[in-house]
Amino acid sequence: MILSGYEALFFWIFALAAIFAGLLTVMARNAVHSALFLISSLVSVAALFVLARAEFIAGVQILVYVGGVMVLFLFVIMLVNVGAEERGTEEIFNNQRQVAASLIFCLLLVGGVLYAVNKGYRGLQEQNRITPEAAAAQEANRDKSLAPSATGSSRITNDSQSLAASLYRYASLPFEIASVLLLVAIIGSVMLARTLRQEASADDVDPETLKEEMVRDPELTNLEPQSE
Amino acid sequence: MIMFNLISPTLAFLFQDAPRSGFEQIKYSAANPDLAKFLVIGALLFIIGVAGVLTRRNIIVIFMSIELILNAANLNFIAFSRYLSLTGDPDAIAGQIFTVFVIVVAAAEAAIGLGIVIALYRNKETIWIDEIDLLKW
Amino acid sequence: MLKYIWLVPLLPLIGAAINGLLGRKLRFSEPLIGGIAVGSVALSFLISVAAVYSYGFGGHAEWPRPYLTSQDGFSFDWIPGGAVSVNHGAEAEAAPRFALLNVEWSYQLDPLSSIFMLIVTGVGLCIFVFATGYMHGETGFYRFFAYMGLFMFAMLVLVMGSNFLMMFVGWEGVGLCSYLLIGYYFDRQEAANASRKAFITNRVGDFGFALAIFGVIATFGSAQYVDVFNQAKSYPIELLGHWGVLSWIALGLFIGACGKSAQLPLHVWLPDAMAGPTPVSALIHAATMVTAGLYMVTRTNVIFQHSQTMLLVVALIGAATAIFAATIGITQNDIKKVLAYSTVSQLGFMFMACGVGAFAIGIFHVMTHAFFKALMFLGAGSVIHGMHHEQDMRRMGGLKKYMPYTYWTFMAGWLAICGIIPFSGFWSKDEILWKAASTTHIPLGWLVWLIGTIAATCTAFYMTRLMAMTFWGRERFLDKPAGGEADEAHASAYDKGLAQHDAVYPSAGDRPRHEPGEHVGPVHEDVAHHVATHGHVHEGEGHGHGAHVPHESPPSMWVPLAVLAVLAVIGGLVGIGPAFRSVTGSEHPGGRLHIVSWLDPIIWNPVTREFNAPEGGHEAAPVAETAAPAEGAAHGEAGASVYGNTGFNLAHSVENSTHSELATEWIFIIISLVVAGIGIALGFLFYVWRPLLAGIWAQRLRPLYIASYNKYWVDEFYGWAVTRRTMDAARAVYAFDSKIVDGIVNGLATLSRLFSRIVGGIDKYFVDGLVNTIAAFIMRLMSPLFRAAQTGFTQNYALVMVLGLMVAVVLFFARDIF
Repeated sequence: MILSGYEALFFWIFALAAIFAGLLTVMARNAVHSALFLISSLVSVAALFVLARAEFIAGVQILVYVGGVMVLFLFVIMLVNVGAEERGTEEIFNNQRQVAASLIFCLLLVGGVLYAVNKGYRGLQEQNRITPEAAAAQEANRDKSLAPSATGSSRITNDSQSLAASLYRYASLPFEIASVLLLVAIIGSVMLARTLRQEASADDVDPETLKEEMVRDPELTNLEPQSE
Repeated sequence: MIMFNLISPTLAFLFQDAPRSGFEQIKYSAANPDLAKFLVIGALLFIIGVAGVLTRRNIIVIFMSIELILNAANLNFIAFSRYLSLTGDPDAIAGQIFTVFVIVVAAAEAAIGLGIVIALYRNKETIWIDEIDLLKW
Repeated sequence: MLKYIWLVPLLPLIGAAINGLLGRKLRFSEPLIGGIAVGSVALSFLISVAAVYSYGFGGHAEWPRPYLTSQDGFSFDWIPGGAVSVNHGAEAEAAPRFALLNVEWSYQLDPLSSIFMLIVTGVGLCIFVFATGYMHGETGFYRFFAYMGLFMFAMLVLVMGSNFLMMFVGWEGVGLCSYLLIGYYFDRQEAANASRKAFITNRVGDFGFALAIFGVIATFGSAQYVDVFNQAKSYPIELLGHWGVLSWIALGLFIGACGKSAQLPLHVWLPDAMAGPTPVSALIHAATMVTAGLYMVTRTNVIFQHSQTMLLVVALIGAATAIFAATIGITQNDIKKVLAYSTVSQLGFMFMACGVGAFAIGIFHVMTHAFFKALMFLGAGSVIHGMHHEQDMRRMGGLKKYMPYTYWTFMAGWLAICGIIPFSGFWSKDEILWKAASTTHIPLGWLVWLIGTIAATCTAFYMTRLMAMTFWGRERFLDKPAGGEADEAHASAYDKGLAQHDAVYPSAGDRPRHEPGEHVGPVHEDVAHHVATHGHVHEGEGHGHGAHVPHESPPSMWVPLAVLAVLAVIGGLVGIGPAFRSVTGSEHPGGRLHIVSWLDPIIWNPVTREFNAPEGGHEAAPVAETAAPAEGAAHGEAGASVYGNTGFNLAHSVENSTHSELATEWIFIIISLVVAGIGIALGFLFYVWRPLLAGIWAQRLRPLYIASYNKYWVDEFYGWAVTRRTMDAARAVYAFDSKIVDGIVNGLATLSRLFSRIVGGIDKYFVDGLVNTIAAFIMRLMSPLFRAAQTGFTQNYALVMVLGLMVAVVLFFARDIF
């Protein structure tokens, strides 16, 4: 699956961008900066997805991951972050021992990656007997069957079609389970994020805890349910 | 010894395939990225994410590092999906299907996790993970 | 009738069982109990008479062979034994062979057992009848006759048994019944002591007897008489100084006889046995049980005649016993004790006879003694009954006119025992003395004769004394009241100086009821007057008055006395001695009716080494037995008999001077009559003509008097030497057991407890401490380590997860790396 020409160039651009953004995510002082760097990392990876002819997944990544999850992250950061990091009153990183241990482990993991590459390299090499020109010719062959785009300069890939065909045929049960999972997640997140007042008004607080909390928050008494 | 075993294949990896000399070798391999490079990129992202999880104090940033990890795994899946589809495996699309599910799970987990963070923040008034040590003896 | 002799022991047993088991439960009346008892014995007697008649005189008489009931089928395997190894003593060259010892229960009717059967059942019948009158009013009436019936059974088994083991069964049985009957008044300490003493002394003798039986079985391989004696007769005679297996057996047998027949030194039980009721004394201790020893010695005369040493022992002990007891009897005041010592003395005579080889004469004396001694005992019982249980002769006297029947019958017995011709006692006693003088079986025959003669004198003396004090003279019972405890066994309480009647113990049964401390005063004149006017006074108005005036006994008591008196008078005629052959025409007149002839088949003749052939012409072997040595002596051959030189023979020396056998015999008869007369005369002198002389001579011979009165302190000696030493040994053993053995046990227990405490301490402090220390150490060491892992810091946990991931990676590539 050798990429060539412009694809190779864009591969390298987006790959390095993803790594750089990821690094900055971890190292940013401000949490919002972290989130933004993560967004850019995710977008770069989505571009890599496109290069790997998984256009639908790239779209899903940007819509869901970036547009949903990261927005959620930003909301929560706004809710809880007090900017202490940026002010410098709080430490970003853990104590030195923890950081040192982590870096050691990560370096070891890197070593592991290199080792794996060493191991798998020859096998992988065998798969790549084909020259870039032959690969481009192969690609052009495949593209013949695709419909041309509106502008006529490229073809519209059938990634969505093939993905959907498999997804709804062979993975329909996991699909349904995934939807149930999302339902659970919705319920769970609503439940987890309720305030005490919201819980008290829904009659969902342990009486003893309610008594304790009423000492701190006198307004709770107003919200006591009328029924015993 | 190990270093030697690690470095030389790395160089060979960079200078792949055909016997071209020096810089052209590099140019060739760089100009034609293949599956291995995708995998390496994914691995590096993964390692960065792990480092973030282990190192940062802010819970939110830890969560974001976890998202990085999941993303790296997605990249891996897609790379293999593309590669296998080129070698003619009829089940190559499974990689993308898996990726869909990973994204779904990541979204759900992010929702729940952030809900927990909010509840935790309400009770403990802190987002620094080293201050949440209720399990300490 | 011969084949029904097995009924003879069985009937009294059945009567005893009925009386004993049902008598109290069904509350039999006295006539019923007495009737059952007397009836059973009477039946036995009749069967015995018929059987003996058909044995000896009937059409198909078995005599002289012994008749065994196994011939007619009555015999069962009593002890089916196994093999016994038999050692033939002198014939030990032959290897010890094995015999099959099968002891059977069968009866043997032969000359000896027939005599005893008749004596036991006949005299026993008289005594049973007497006892129904004597024991009238007793609460234990049924018990008495149950025991008496049991005794009859045991005695008949003893005399009728066909083997040694049956004799032993009967031996023990009569010992048991003696114990039960002496202790009949079981609430009296004296009776209980006496019965125990009798049984234990008997047991000492039984020990010897049992050993002798073992010896018999080991030597002859059988216990049956016919087998044993057939083998024994061919053994060599063991002369004086040679002691062989037959001497051992004879020794054991004689020890048993000493115990049963109250010879020195085991005589001590007989006088004390007078604590039992008088019929018991009459039956057991005069007529039957004590003669069991004689039966046994005569039955085994084969064995005794093979051992000259034992014959000498028997004769000497018999003689010693005779004189010993006779001298004691002179000074006793209790009427029954005098008769008891007289019995011991007469038994000595019987053994003297056996010792000198005159076994038949010994049995003859058994018979005559049974007659006159039972008669005198019953007469004494009648006197005691009439005197209301007064036994001390010093308070009797002049009873002749109060109790005439008793008096005249007693006189017959007195004359018999003194040996006055023609009463029964004369024939037997004289013959014994003649045989002692003329014996060639043992040396020292003259000594035996001398001692016997002196004892006869003493016998005559004390019996006359008894008659005088009891029946003649002044009525002393009117002087002093019945002193002491007016009880059966306590007449000698008079000696304790209790002048007034102060009863010490309450009496039981039908004896005069006196409460302890009750005061009975002296007789009043009006009572004596009453006696004079009315003949007799019977106490009926309570027991608070003075002396009891005696009365004659009822017919149930004096009729047996009369029967026995008749027997005492004429009973001796079955044994008229050879001295009278000029009158009777033969040595032993009467053919087989003569007791010597009758018993011949069971007497072994050492000359012919066979049992004597029956007297067809009555001049054969038995004559040869006495004639041959006599002729030999007459011809100047000393010691021609099988027993070697027996030294000085009195009869022979007399005969040498008179040159006539007949004259010799008559000389001895005259001597014995003269000494009897001297004894009687002395008795009259001391107790009738000059009563004060008795006291004076008692003072003059005070040491002798004291010794005799105290029975030569034999009982005290036994008490010190045997009883107290045994108790000391028991105490020592007890001390050993309680201190040492128990001490060891307790000490071990204490050691165990101490040890357990130590171990407990070790466990508690050392072991537990060790465990606790180790546990605490581990905890203190390890827990911080484990606690350190619980940091509560989430990223630490994440770090661990990454570590795990790396480990997984390494493991994944492990094969390739290493």
